Parts: sequence; structure tokens; C-alpha cells
Amino acid sequence: MRDWHPAVAAAEPSQKAERDPAAPLFGGVYRERFERILGRYPTKRAALLPVLHLAQEVRGWLAPETMTRVAELLDLTPAQVRAVASFYTMFNLKPVGSYLVQVCTNIACDLCGAGKVLERFLSETGTEPGAISADGRYTVVETECLGACGFATAVLINDRFYESVTPENVPALLAELP
Amino acid sequence: MTQPAAELVTVTIDGIAVQVPKAMTVIQAAEEAGIVIPRYCYHPAMSSPAQCRMCLVEVKGAPKLVPSCVQRVQDGMEVRTDSPAARKARRAVIEFLLVNHPLDCPICDAAGQCELQDYAFETGQLRTRSVDPKRVLGRDHVTPDVLYFADRCVLCTRCVRFMEEIAREPTLVVVQRGDRATIDTMAGELFEHPFSMNIVDVCPVGALVNEDFLFKPRAWDLDRFPSVCPGCAQGCNITLDTKENRVVRAKPRPHPEVNAFWMCDHGRKLLAGWVPGGERGERLEAPQIRDGDRLVAVSWPQALERAAEGLRQAGGPGRAIVSAAAANESLYALRKVMQALGFAGGAFRVPTGPTAVLEGFPKLQLRAERVPNAVGAALLGFRRSADLFADLRGRRGALLVLGDPLHDAPADFGRDAAFYLYAGSVASPAARNAHVLLPVTTFAEMDGTFTNFEGRVQRFTQALTPPGMARPAWVALSALSSRMGSGAMLDSAAEAFAALAAEFEPFRGMTYETLGFGGRITEAAEGAAAVTSGGK
Ligand code: SF4
Ligand code: SF4
Ligand code: FES
Repeated sequence: MRDWHPAVAAAEPSQKAERDPAAPLFGGVYRERFERILGRYPTKRAALLPVLHLAQEVRGWLAPETMTRVAELLDLTPAQVRAVASFYTMFNLKPVGSYLVQVCTNIACDLCGAGKVLERFLSETGTEPGAISADGRYTVVETECLGACGFATAVLINDRFYESVTPENVPALLAELP
Repeated sequence: MTQPAAELVTVTIDGIAVQVPKAMTVIQAAEEAGIVIPRYCYHPAMSSPAQCRMCLVEVKGAPKLVPSCVQRVQDGMEVRTDSPAARKARRAVIEFLLVNHPLDCPICDAAGQCELQDYAFETGQLRTRSVDPKRVLGRDHVTPDVLYFADRCVLCTRCVRFMEEIAREPTLVVVQRGDRATIDTMAGELFEHPFSMNIVDVCPVGALVNEDFLFKPRAWDLDRFPSVCPGCAQGCNITLDTKENRVVRAKPRPHPEVNAFWMCDHGRKLLAGWVPGGERGERLEAPQIRDGDRLVAVSWPQALERAAEGLRQAGGPGRAIVSAAAANESLYALRKVMQALGFAGGAFRVPTGPTAVLEGFPKLQLRAERVPNAVGAALLGFRRSADLFADLRGRRGALLVLGDPLHDAPADFGRDAAFYLYAGSVASPAARNAHVLLPVTTFAEMDGTFTNFEGRVQRFTQALTPPGMARPAWVALSALSSRMGSGAMLDSAAEAFAALAAEFEPFRGMTYETLGFGGRITEAAEGAAAVTSGGK
């Protein structure tokens, strides 16, 4: 039995479908999801946040070209998209690795050794905080409270949530990633 | 207000009872009572996000302070803008705004006209309680003409809403959040818009400043004069800010039917640092008369005597060219000279340029006709000509020119005239062919009126001292016509306008007093507008 578990309610891990900035942003299944999002809101502008999440799911981060494309799709100006994207820390405005590892270092996790967990992630992936590992797979960052203080240390890898992570189980956790 | 039968309610603001329409907000009602509630995000022409919290007031019976910029009035409402609770709230807002503010008023362009400075002074906090170092963001251009000092910004978003709601080109936004939040464009690129400089006016502090004005005059050293922009047929109401007898900038003066709170960048650039003809060194400063090949400077009486005599000898019918940038009063005075010679007619031209519409207030347009008084000239009997010089060729007799600088005239312009009188402010080569040159003022150096595209007659006032011996054209020309037995010598612009109004039907009944500073629309304006837009 492993002593950490992916949260039951977690979303699927992000699919980095198309990282090439020149490729179409929403194709195939993403097109359908985009249309469905639009159908949920009274105006196109109101759909901006979920559409940005979708765009980030496809590209991994929100490049200026990506924001400009989203602006076109929603009849906004690129600046209006940037205003929203830059407000929220969950949007990546710089490129990240295929797996964005966010280690909570807020008070509860910190008391339970989050600093060591963070260090282990960095040494296992051979990166500096915020940098992309040489193989392009990982970016490791600190994050504020993930709301799982009862299960410190909490870690978020792309959209998947891990609780009770210790330095020891970091290698296994990384190995499980597809 | 807008509805004729708007329901009125009575509210009491700081003990002053006012009756106002039900749709008003407390901040507007307070203005009716003569009380200006401090505000940052509120602007009368734009939506109110109620985000700065500077306008909080105490309303009797309300559990908390309310933002007066969005709170509608209710009958019997009792508002206190200056109660201890309201003052305390303002003090707190100011304290927060100053946490990271560089307090660089001594080198800030807005000092002396800054709402942050005023209210900080009023709340009387001498030092900050914050012990952390201030964060520093720096400054950058947002347009080629406008600089953004991020550390002074209070994030009221007036500039953002101007671009979104009035210019309808949402290029400016708030990026980031918390103490890193700033105003920016998509990728920090500069944006351009024909009305962009209004963001400087709406900025309540010194965050957005005009680079042209940067570090030059201090606001308290400026003299301000109500005027009308001469840049196009729109006739925006403006103030000319002057220092040491120079226009240093033009600012819009609100007029609900002409320009709301705005003016275009073309007009501002035209007027900032305005030295008509001065740059070419061609400003005409003394009357001159021809002596063979030379022009000799003389006194006004000598010049007028010579002009009267020359014109009398040349006799009618003559030719006349006027500038559509000349005031109604000046055009009228030239008419009197023409009457003395027994001829009518006369032509003007209208330089044109690209137009630009302010989408959020579409009546305001940078008009194609780049002169302020084409309609006035048409109402006074002058005719728009598409090719002034071709039209005049081969006609002899007296030649009168008022105001047109003739920079593009043929070199021998006026040589064929029996007598050539030039009244203008610049002595271009073609003007130097004249027998008599009379130095006249520009619009900024005189009182007068322009008639804008819709026939609205609007007053402007003297902002600068004329150079040398220059006089308003209506002074010089009425002195000339009275010598020639046509009309009286006019003593003031008001008198000149009254004489004009008595003689020309479209202006009948108007006086400077009835015009006020809102202006009045002439009856025959539509016909005249058709004349001026008709080309030849
Ligand atoms: S730049 Fe001026 S107008 Fe714009 S948000 Fe800042 S303070 Fe307000
Ligand atoms: S629109 Fe015309 S009158 Fe108004 S500021 Fe511009 S140039 Fe001047
Ligand atoms: S002016 Fe009312 S909240 Fe800003």
C-alpha cells in the first residue's frame, strides 16, 4: 500500500495536446469542449476563464500568441485577455515542463516537512525552482495553500492532486507519471 | 434633465437640502448642493465601478458607509460627507494609496492639480505607518505622446474605461494584481488613437502625463483662458493654458453638445507650444507699406491712410480672399471695407484632412474641414473655392487678403492688382507683394467668435499678448472702412459682433451676452453647411 493517494475528485492529468504555437489552438475534441463552454455562458466574454484553462491545457502555458488567439475567438482585444490571465496565478505566463509540480509550502505543509519534499522534487528532476528540466518534462515550483492541510504535504501535478507526500515517495510518484 | 417630467426627490447633504431627479446618484446630488465629494474612479461620462472607495459617505439609517458614486438618491435621504466616520474612511483610503506612492510631488507634472495631493493634504497625515520598503515599478510610454508613471497610479481605471467606453478600443487594461498591478497594453506595446491624450485628462493623479509637457511649467504658474479649438470645423471648447505669453497646452472645456469632456490629439498638438508663423520667422509685427521694391515699417495711421487712398484710387470691383480661420468679427470688418469699394463676393478655401470619430460620443469628430470658421465665412457671404488662385486669375482692380498665409501662392501673386492690401499674421513671400501689409492677431491674441460645422456661434477669449503692433483684424479693418466712409470704428469684439448681428440675418438677435460660453446655433446654419461642404 502506498501512503499517498491521488485525490479521488481530481481531474484527469492535463493533456499537452499541441504545444506548437503555430498549430490550431482548439482542434478535434478540444473544439467540442470549447463550443460546449461557450454554450454555458450568456456572452462570449463571460467564457474567458474556462477558455483560458482549456488553452493552457492544450499548450501548457499562455503565450502571447495563445492569448491573442483566445481574444479572436471571444471577440475581445488581446489586452483584455492579458488583464485576466495575469490576475490569476494559476495561468502560466511563462513556458513550463510537461509536468508542472506545485508543492505547497504554506504553514501546515511546511511544519510537516514540505521543504524537504520540495528539495527532493528538485533533486530528482535536476532543476531549479521555476525552471524547465533538461528533458523538458518537469517544472517544480512552490505554491500557496492547496486546501489539504489535514494531509500535508500536498502536491499538485498538472491537474492531479496528491496528499501526504514525503521525500521518500517522490521517486515513485514521478515514475508513475506517464 | 433628460425626461421632461423626471420625478424629483429631496435629499439633505451636509445640512443643505436639494431637489434632484430620482435617477441621480448621491455624488451628483452633492454637486447640485455645491459639495464635491472626493472621488477617484467616478467620472461623469463613464460607468462607475465603485472600486476606489474614496467617495464613501454616511447615510442616515444605513448600517455602513455607502459609495456615493453609485448610490441613488431617495426621498428624505440625509447624507453626511464630512462626518467623523466618512473622514476616517477617506483617511484610510489615502493611507493605502500612499503605501507605495513615491511622494515625488516636487518633480510631478500633476502637482498643483492632483486629487491625491489635495486629499492627502486635507487628511493631514504627515508620515506613513508602513515600515516596509516601497515597491518600485518605474515608468514607460503607453502611447508615443503619453508616459505612464506606474508608482503614482491609484488604479482608478478611468483611463481603462476611457479606452473601452469612450474610444471603444479597449487597448489599455489593468494587468497583474495587488501591489504589482499596473496599467498596460497587451505586450507593453504602444497604442495609437486619435483621441488618446484624453487619458491624461481623466487621470486624477500624475500617473499619465503628456511627454510634451513633462518637466516644463508648473500647474500653478499657468494662466487659463476659455477658447475654441481652431483645428477643425468641430469647434471643441477648450482652455488655453499659457505661461510667459506662450500656449503650453490646450485642455478640453466641457460642453455637453459639442465635445463633452474631450478633444482630439490633432487639436492638442496644433496648440501646444503654438507660435503662429514664429517658427518660420515670418510673424508680421508692424504695418508696412511699399516703397518701390522695398517694404517700409510705418505707424498704424500712416498705413491706414495709405491703404484707404490706394483702395479709393483702385476703385471697385475688386477681389477678396479670406481665411476660414478668421473670426466672424474680422470677416465682417472686411465686408465693410468691401462695401466701401462697392463690391461683394470674396472667396475662402478649406484645407482638408482625414476624419476621426470618437465612437463613445460620435458627435465629436475630427472633421475633414481643418478650419474653425468655414460656416461663419459662408454665412457672411464668402464662397468656398476649390482653387483660389485659378479663380482669381486675370481679374484686376483692388485685391484684399485677410488671414490666408498664401504659402502656396504663385510667386507673382497680386502683382497684377491695381492695389493689394494684405491683412494677416505671417508675411509669406506672396504676402510681401502687397502694397500695404497690416499685422493682425491670431485667434489666441484676440476676443472673437467662430461658427462651427453645425452653425453654433461660440466665443473665444484673448489668451496671449499680440506681438509688436499687431491688432485684431476687426480693429484694423474697421478703422480702415470708417476712413472710407463705410461703417463705424469698432471699439470692442462685443461691439463688432453686435454690428454684425444687426446686419446679417442668420446672426440676428445674438450678442456676446446671449451667446455666453455655450454658444448658440444660427437659423440658417443648414444651408451654410451645405455651401461649405459643396466644394467650389
Ligand atoms: S493611470 Fe491614472 S487614470 Fe489610469 S488607473 Fe492609474 S490613476 Fe487611474
Ligand atoms: S476635433 Fe477639431 S475642434 Fe476638436 S480638438 Fe480636434 S481639431 Fe480641435
Ligand atoms: S468614486 Fe465612488 S468608489 Fe470610486
